[in-house]
Amino acid sequence: MSTWLQLTVSGLSLGTIYALIALGFVVIYRASAVFNFAHGELLAFGAFAMISLCGAGLPWGVALAAALVATGLLAAAVERLVLRPMIGRPVFVTIIVTIFVGSVLRSVIFIAWGPQTRGMPTPWDPLTTVDVAGASLLMNSVAALGAGAAALAAFFLLVRRTKLGVAMRATASDQETALALGIPVGRVFAATWFLAGLFAALAGIFLGMFPRNVDTNLGFVALRAFPAVIVGGLDSAWGTVLAGVLLGVLEVLCQGYVNPYLGEFGRNFHAVFPYVVMILFLIVKPHGLFGTREVERV
Amino acid sequence: MPTRPLVTRYEQDLRLFEDRWAQAGLALWVLVALALPFVASDRWLTTANLALIAVVGAVGLMILTGFAGQISLGHAAFLALGAYTTAVLGERLELPFWLAMPCAGAVAAAVGLAVGPFALRLRGLYLAIVTLGILFLTSHLLHSLPELTHGVSGMAVRMYAGGSDAAGEALRFSTPWRLGPVTLGFDRKLYYLFLLLAAGAAWLGKNLAHSNSGRAMMAVRDQDLAASVLGVHPARSKVLAFGVSSFLTGVAGSMFAYQQQYITIEPPFDLNLSVQYIAMIVLGGVGTIFGAVAGALLFVCLAPLMETVGGWIPFVADLSSHQRSTLLFAVGVCVLLVVEPLGLLGLWLRVKRTFAAWPFRY
Repeated sequence: MSTWLQLTVSGLSLGTIYALIALGFVVIYRASAVFNFAHGELLAFGAFAMISLCGAGLPWGVALAAALVATGLLAAAVERLVLRPMIGRPVFVTIIVTIFVGSVLRSVIFIAWGPQTRGMPTPWDPLTTVDVAGASLLMNSVAALGAGAAALAAFFLLVRRTKLGVAMRATASDQETALALGIPVGRVFAATWFLAGLFAALAGIFLGMFPRNVDTNLGFVALRAFPAVIVGGLDSAWGTVLAGVLLGVLEVLCQGYVNPYLGEFGRNFHAVFPYVVMILFLIVKPHGLFGTREVERV
Repeated sequence: MPTRPLVTRYEQDLRLFEDRWAQAGLALWVLVALALPFVASDRWLTTANLALIAVVGAVGLMILTGFAGQISLGHAAFLALGAYTTAVLGERLELPFWLAMPCAGAVAAAVGLAVGPFALRLRGLYLAIVTLGILFLTSHLLHSLPELTHGVSGMAVRMYAGGSDAAGEALRFSTPWRLGPVTLGFDRKLYYLFLLLAAGAAWLGKNLAHSNSGRAMMAVRDQDLAASVLGVHPARSKVLAFGVSSFLTGVAGSMFAYQQQYITIEPPFDLNLSVQYIAMIVLGGVGTIFGAVAGALLFVCLAPLMETVGGWIPFVADLSSHQRSTLLFAVGVCVLLVVEPLGLLGLWLRVKRTFAAWPFRY
């Protein structure tokens, strides 16, 4: 029973991180139909910025806020420099450009911080455990769960209740009409990318704390979040959050309960398991859980 | 922007070359290509071999993505299947290369045909991520069959030429040929074989583009609903595109295995490789065989070129050569695509138009 609970909570916190990453993809996709392949590198940048800022002697909370803002600004700068000139060009080419932006960022991160693996600083002892219902859970994973849930709640409040949120939704539904109604679409794009950067950095920081350490390969984790985006439906924020959490739990449970029974094939099987789930799921529902079904006109 | 002159008759549409000039230009390229191994240094001969492999793979991807409009991030999976089929057939059965290569293509094509039906229901990014899933599954499968693929440690690839020598040993492809004063070593022999295959792939692709099924694929790419109203079978076109594309890609994987002589699973057969192939066709210009060939050649030659050029730029010169080439290369691709989304094809059309309209601007 307690093993089960332990696995479920660590699955939940992994799932929250997937959800944060996936939300970053969806925010950008909804505003501009671009799938941002550079997201993983933004995540790694956030984690490294956090380490450097803490190393510079800033208190943990201040460093966290500064790292989030720095990553957000970096994302907004990428949008302004590279993505803005591509508006009106084929979306396919824009998506390819993001792949190479990611590659530039990865080189820059590698040059700036080097190949060594570092631990993420935490305000509590990294091995602190909390006892819940007889199971001892890592403080880090509980914190990831809390921070992720808070960020997701804040995002949904922002989108539903603020002027910026309304402008974002308007831009997402129709750029030209939004422009005609006086919404500064360019600035909304910048805000969207800023938000995506915030999510990426938050995910990177908590990911660096709990299941792994921080090195230049941290960005590849974003690949693991793709199934969440797809299963949830590319343009549905709620769907991806739900799918992210579910797939995180499934992945950890698979590692605990399925891998040992598959012999040689089972080694690292949990890493591809979300993809298997995704492929099976798409056979049944080709637009994901809550993705919009396109109505076609010729 | 039109990518080719206005076609007014069906015969014009079927013609492979626009005019005499295109034929003359091609003849010049053939001469250059034939003379290259005797002019180039060893380093550039290896680069040329890699470029020819990339041409075959890029033509394969161009048929799938450029003609039929199906974005695939799983290209590396088909390359891996081709490479490992070749290696296993060489190790277990000592098959000669001219038999192993079609087999590699066939295995990749079989998997491609199995993936094809997914494209009937999914489109765009959904399909792209599913093909990415296929890539991860393939790599997982290759890792979990160590008795066949030797797992992470990788395996040697032996290239047999068929037949056996006096001692009963199977003949290796690597034995040099002597034709009078000229010696053809392994790299040069490989170069001519690859040149033949690359030319064959480009010719196949070009013919496909001008054929019934090629036009059907393009119709499906542009608007599949409209295409099916006009009597095109979208399902058949998509599955055909997957089949032809993965066959060519499997052959490219087989060529890669022979060129490397020792292969491992990851790297090179990871997402990065798939992305490189997509970059090639985007760099060249999506939708034409010219784009696939030009993009592949430019892409492969750019990395060593950037490594050399990077030494002259002050701050960049301090980096290691690998970092230098990746960084400059990625920046270069970004700039080119932001300036000219049609890639090399767009640049070429601009040049042509400037001369056609001279002294006026278009």
